[in-house]
Amino acid sequence: MKLNRRAFVGTGVAAATLSAPMVNAASHGKPKVVVVGGGAGGATAARYIAKDSAGEIDVTLIEPSRSYYTCFFSNLYIGGFRELDSIEHSYGTLASEYGINVVHDWATGVDRDAKTVALAGGGAVPYDRLILSPGIDFVDGAVPGWDVSAQNAMPHAYKGGSQTELLKAQIMAMPEGGTYVMVAPPNPYRCPPGPYERVSMVAHVLKANNPTAKIIIADPKPSFSKQGLFEEGWQKHYAGMVTRIGPDFGGDNVSVDPAAMTVDVDGEVIKADVVNVIPAQKAGLICEAAGLTEGNWAPVTGHTMQSRLDENIHILGDATNQGDMPKSGFSANSQAKVAAMAVRGALTGSRVFPAKFSNTCWSLIDTNDGVKVGATYEATDEKIAKVDGFVSQTGEDAALRQATYEESIGWYEGITSDMFG
Amino acid sequence: MAHSSGLFISVIGGAALVLGASYGWTAREFRAAELDVLTDRVGQLERSNADWASKADQTSALEARLSELETELSAALQAAEDAKQAAMQPVAEPVQESATDPVIADASALEFGDPARGEEVFAQCRSCHQIGQGATDRIGPHLNGIFGRRAGAHDGFRYSEDMSMMGSDGLTWELDTLNAYLENPKALVSRTRMNFAGLDDPQDRSNILAYLRQFSASPQNIPEAAPTAQAREVELAPEVLAIVGDTDYGEYLASECKTCHQQDGSDQGIPAITQWPTEDFVVAMHAYKRKIRPHPVMQMMANRLSDEEIAALAAYFAQTE
Ligand SMILES: Cc1cc2nc3c(=O)[nH]c(=O)nc-3n(C[C@H](O)[C@H](O)[C@H](O)COP(=O)(O)OP(=O)(O)OC[C@H]3O[C@@H](n4cnc5c(N)ncnc54)[C@H](O)[C@@H]3O)c2cc1C
Repeated sequence: MKLNRRAFVGTGVAAATLSAPMVNAASHGKPKVVVVGGGAGGATAARYIAKDSAGEIDVTLIEPSRSYYTCFFSNLYIGGFRELDSIEHSYGTLASEYGINVVHDWATGVDRDAKTVALAGGGAVPYDRLILSPGIDFVDGAVPGWDVSAQNAMPHAYKGGSQTELLKAQIMAMPEGGTYVMVAPPNPYRCPPGPYERVSMVAHVLKANNPTAKIIIADPKPSFSKQGLFEEGWQKHYAGMVTRIGPDFGGDNVSVDPAAMTVDVDGEVIKADVVNVIPAQKAGLICEAAGLTEGNWAPVTGHTMQSRLDENIHILGDATNQGDMPKSGFSANSQAKVAAMAVRGALTGSRVFPAKFSNTCWSLIDTNDGVKVGATYEATDEKIAKVDGFVSQTGEDAALRQATYEESIGWYEGITSDMFG
Repeated sequence: MAHSSGLFISVIGGAALVLGASYGWTAREFRAAELDVLTDRVGQLERSNADWASKADQTSALEARLSELETELSAALQAAEDAKQAAMQPVAEPVQESATDPVIADASALEFGDPARGEEVFAQCRSCHQIGQGATDRIGPHLNGIFGRRAGAHDGFRYSEDMSMMGSDGLTWELDTLNAYLENPKALVSRTRMNFAGLDDPQDRSNILAYLRQFSASPQNIPEAAPTAQAREVELAPEVLAIVGDTDYGEYLASECKTCHQQDGSDQGIPAITQWPTEDFVVAMHAYKRKIRPHPVMQMMANRLSDEEIAALAAYFAQTE
């Protein structure tokens, strides 16, 4: 069951469709940490605090879904390299082995004076420290003609699960020689190479099933992550299939008509069979509801991942404005460990060390053709600042590309067990 | 598909510009489109000309820098030689290692030694490795043509997983890498099957390298002592190996490793790092830090770790189950 978050946050109705779990709000001595969002940032933070405080801190995780479908590797599912259930994770171990109180509900608001989080299902959960890692929501009106009510006709597949499944089904059902159009997002957005890895994976399935089909990307950005590597790969594996319309040709002036299944690029109308709209993004709505955003994102300090607007609240992952780190699962996981350490230090006096961050993003271009980009970061007073980095090179040999792909499989196993235990 | 020709033009223009290649759009009827493509091509050519000009500038700047560096290097070599001479004077004070660089970098350039002596040293390798005419793989691979060969890449030989992985990561057998491997095989390739403690004496190593070199194609093309072929073995100062790691700090630092390396010790795609002997771990991390071990992620991660941090990680991982 997929629920429309806007309806929840906006009106607080439909709560009846969720089983409202008992939330034990009674106070009993131990410091309380509440984590909102059980994704790359939230699940990691909850697990590390529970694990490392060994029972000294009460941890509650608020997450509406019973299954978390990772966005990472969701493109590989589209490309036929993964089964959907291989990217699905449950919260069972976090509850049973780490003693985390997992509450399946939406957080609808934060009372920062009373230090409580309101739930859609009713009631409020008190906290001493709150961690928000709600991921992204979409900027209203970013792509004229599109809003979330059109996400079935024109999926974004930029949040995991049913959207990804829907997009894949639509691609598989494309008529022979049909057209897939991606409306790519402007910066900053979650997973900089994500749209282009997706194009690679769509091309991979189409090449096998529908080789005369076409892929068009309407892109508002003049350049994009790992561009040289992707373009080399598209040329090598999918020559003639992919066309990208950059801003110099109107890629930044796009509207869609979901009923007619058309995309208007700078006044020219394309009739498409599948339209994958990835709109401009902003922090998950709860950040705005809690008054923690400036512009589209929630500003934080890198030393502890504390909100710059409320020191009792730490914000992680895609929702933040932190500096140089890309919005990725790896980054959110890395930030979560810094926040977990800071929270434990503040609540139990455990040792706190200087923050270190890192990120590596792997992308698959075709079978055994993997590439990666990565960097390390440190916290300065001003922002999280890049220290050092690397990127795969064009023209690398097949053995290295295969090793890089195999490494990404290892990373996936590593990060998901780091999140969910 | 119902396109207007206007879109066709911008699509083709965009494709030629952005990807510089053919995209299977047949546009013969669209003369205007062809014109546009040609205009783009001309523009592209102009840009790439400008590019080349600036590259040429960069190249000559780099060449200038290179010869500067070469001068500096030979000065450094001279200084090292002087220091060595001075150290050998019985009355002279012993040469102090720089306190900030824990790795004893052997300042003298690597050189090939005496192949005849090398043959004698090689005797201890013969139980596993053959070399010369008719050599075949035994317990270890034959060593003909070892110079310039990718690690773990000799067809038909079953290498350890670590060796194959190092090869895919880019480890190639050259003067410096062979020297490092011979000195301490496990510092370079953790779980190599080669069951050999290493040759401590630099002279033994340079002799054996001279011997091996005779069995590689065109040995005269293998540089004697190219400026880059400086000794880079990770010979760690005893005080670095003696640092007692702070396991609490190690635990925090290790959380960063666990994003990729699985905590249950499984090693699919990425090697396991739990339960490492402390010293092996320390040596391996320094080898990444000094970029002797290939692999961009590990080089980057190790690069910002201090000696204390490496010791802390080693102490933590040694105690994990
Ligand atoms: C196609 C694609 C490919 C990607 N590939 C990679 C990759 O290869 N590597 C990589 O590192 N990253 C990748 N990413 C990016 C990665 O998925 C995100 O950066 C990461 O998930 C961010 O973590 P987060 O904790 O900020 O948000 P999320 O992981 O999205 O978690 C947010 C959670 O919060 C919950 N939530 C939201 N609002 C509320 C609320 N009000 N109350 C309660 N719960 C709430 C949501 O249900 C969700 O479970 C990819 C993304 C996409 C879209």
